[in-house]
Amino acid sequence: MPRISLVVVGHKDHGKSTLIGRLLFDSKAILEQKLAEIKAELKESGSPEFEFAFLLDSLEEERKGGLTIDIMHTPFKSDKYLYTIIDCPGHKEFVKKMLTGASEADAAVLVVSAKEGIEDQTRQHAFLIKTLGIKELVVAVNKMDAAAYDENRFQETCEELKQILLSLGYSDPPMIPVSAMKGDNVYKRSQKMKWYKGLTLIETLDQNIAPAKLPTHKPLRGVVQDVYPYKNDQQIVACKIETGKLEPERTVIFNPSGEKGLLKKILASGSSTEKAEPGDSVGLVIDGIDTVERGEVLSYPEDQPKKTRKFTAEVILLSDIQIRNGDEPTIRYGTAEKKCKVQKILSEIDPVNLTIRSKHPEILKEESVGEIEFLALEPLCLEQHSIFPELGRFVIEGKRGTAAAGIVLEIQD
Amino acid sequence: MDEYLQELEKKSIAIIREAKAQFKNPAVLWSTGKDSTAAVWLCRKAFFGEIPFPVVHIDTGYKFPEIYEFRDKIAKEWGFNLLVAKNEKALKDGMSPKKGALECCTQLKTEALKALIEEKKFDALFLAIRRDEHGIRAKERFYSPRDEDFRWNYKDQPAELWDLYVKPSEDFSHMRVHSILHWTEFDVWQYVKEEKLPVNPLYFAKNGKRYRSLGCMPCTVPIPSTASNIDEIVQEIKTSKTPERAGRSQDKEKAYMMQKLRSLGYM
Repeated sequence: MPRISLVVVGHKDHGKSTLIGRLLFDSKAILEQKLAEIKAELKESGSPEFEFAFLLDSLEEERKGGLTIDIMHTPFKSDKYLYTIIDCPGHKEFVKKMLTGASEADAAVLVVSAKEGIEDQTRQHAFLIKTLGIKELVVAVNKMDAAAYDENRFQETCEELKQILLSLGYSDPPMIPVSAMKGDNVYKRSQKMKWYKGLTLIETLDQNIAPAKLPTHKPLRGVVQDVYPYKNDQQIVACKIETGKLEPERTVIFNPSGEKGLLKKILASGSSTEKAEPGDSVGLVIDGIDTVERGEVLSYPEDQPKKTRKFTAEVILLSDIQIRNGDEPTIRYGTAEKKCKVQKILSEIDPVNLTIRSKHPEILKEESVGEIEFLALEPLCLEQHSIFPELGRFVIEGKRGTAAAGIVLEIQD
Repeated sequence: MDEYLQELEKKSIAIIREAKAQFKNPAVLWSTGKDSTAAVWLCRKAFFGEIPFPVVHIDTGYKFPEIYEFRDKIAKEWGFNLLVAKNEKALKDGMSPKKGALECCTQLKTEALKALIEEKKFDALFLAIRRDEHGIRAKERFYSPRDEDFRWNYKDQPAELWDLYVKPSEDFSHMRVHSILHWTEFDVWQYVKEEKLPVNPLYFAKNGKRYRSLGCMPCTVPIPSTASNIDEIVQEIKTSKTPERAGRSQDKEKAYMMQKLRSLGYM
């Protein structure tokens, strides 16, 4: 069965966890013993009643506070796909966790409450998933039960949301009126909204989303992970293929060093293989190379990546970070780690109101988003995200790990 | 091999190679159970047959005899560098599950591991935990740093974007690298079958019972089962309505035992 990875986003308390709990429950993905344990525990702790969100919230603090702290991966089945759901927390300080989940997703479900209407994180999350490059979006207009199953309320919410989504580049995503709490239009067609003639949420997902296709048709790009010694004084270049197809007996080139050689053998964990495709992590035995190292980009000489130093990027600051003009953070793309100077912060974007907050600010602070012009201290092989997403995204390294995420908007020669 | 299993394997191998390239002194933890045996196998494949770092087994002294037999046999056949971690002092002082599972697991597993890490200066440990095993394990990242006191700050973990796994420059004693985090129990058994991996005989049913998850003798109970070979186990898991670790006492929802254990550095 094909697999789809879904991220569920939306404003806090609009019912993301409840919706996921409902999907898991109605698809029978939850094991009986797990249900029994949770119910027993709720009874013991004197909690009022069972809620679907409890299925996901496995940390003590989450159940007590009724909110989801971190992402969760739980598979469930439809007629067509095996879905893995990534639940994202809605509290605004948790953007980094949401992005962690969203960066793995094929598609997004945006949950918006018909009762409360569009709120700050509805816009912010839509903006962030679009920035990360998630193309498929389905909207669940939730809490229809609390809005008297009113068609007008549904239409109003849809109209307002459509304008916002259109401005981000999502044209006409499907919108479904649901009640996750009561189970209307999630798996089962609602008897309370006869005015709605469209598909249920699960039918919509099945019909609108297709598994991601491997980018085999693109020019070859691979990233060097490591170099291991091999027999007869040769080396194995461990390489992860990002795009295109790799075949033996062809000349390959590594950049930015520019080293070339004839590819003799592709080793897929021990045995030789005739080709390598995107996602493969393979060992390459190459004649005529000796100084290739981790971080370089593999391609055919006929279609190499440009070497560049100057580029602009949209950067989402996550945690433990501030960026000022003149800073020299280390960025990581593919397997390369390179220092890049912040030439100029071009703008700060307001991800809630979806406007430019200020032009040429001196500083970007934690959890802000901005456009930055970088100058790499040495040449690198970044690509434009819209053409090569795999090598057009990067993270900024911080003391505790990933501190910011970047999407390359433009490369200058 | 099934296309999906190939995908899982590719991702795991890429992660293992990343960690090997980024850390100076890694090791892989091996309980001899099916998951960590698959994880050790993936390390062999990642490095074309020879694992370039030690394989660590934590011996609580309360393991099944079959576990020790299996461990020594596979270590010999696969020819890796096996290191055994054991908290001899705690055992001598009478530590046992009778003192409480939280205390016992912490002393005999977590503390034994701590001592070995300090002695060998490991900066990365490959662990075969999976998201589907337990709610708290689903909160994990592929790269999961532990601080000086081994604590896991699950409320404030760094982001992990795409496949760009970042090594922090400060504030961590070692990195836990979860190379099969994205696999399920079912996937692992399918993989064991496809790759013809050796498995501990305790997994196969005897007299109507088998172990679905292996731990220490006093704290692990078998499940009713007639599955006596891998095909039958795969079939059983497909239709099972109980969680995999139902026979493991440290996992129960009650009192958030697993959460407490893991935040203190448990596997």
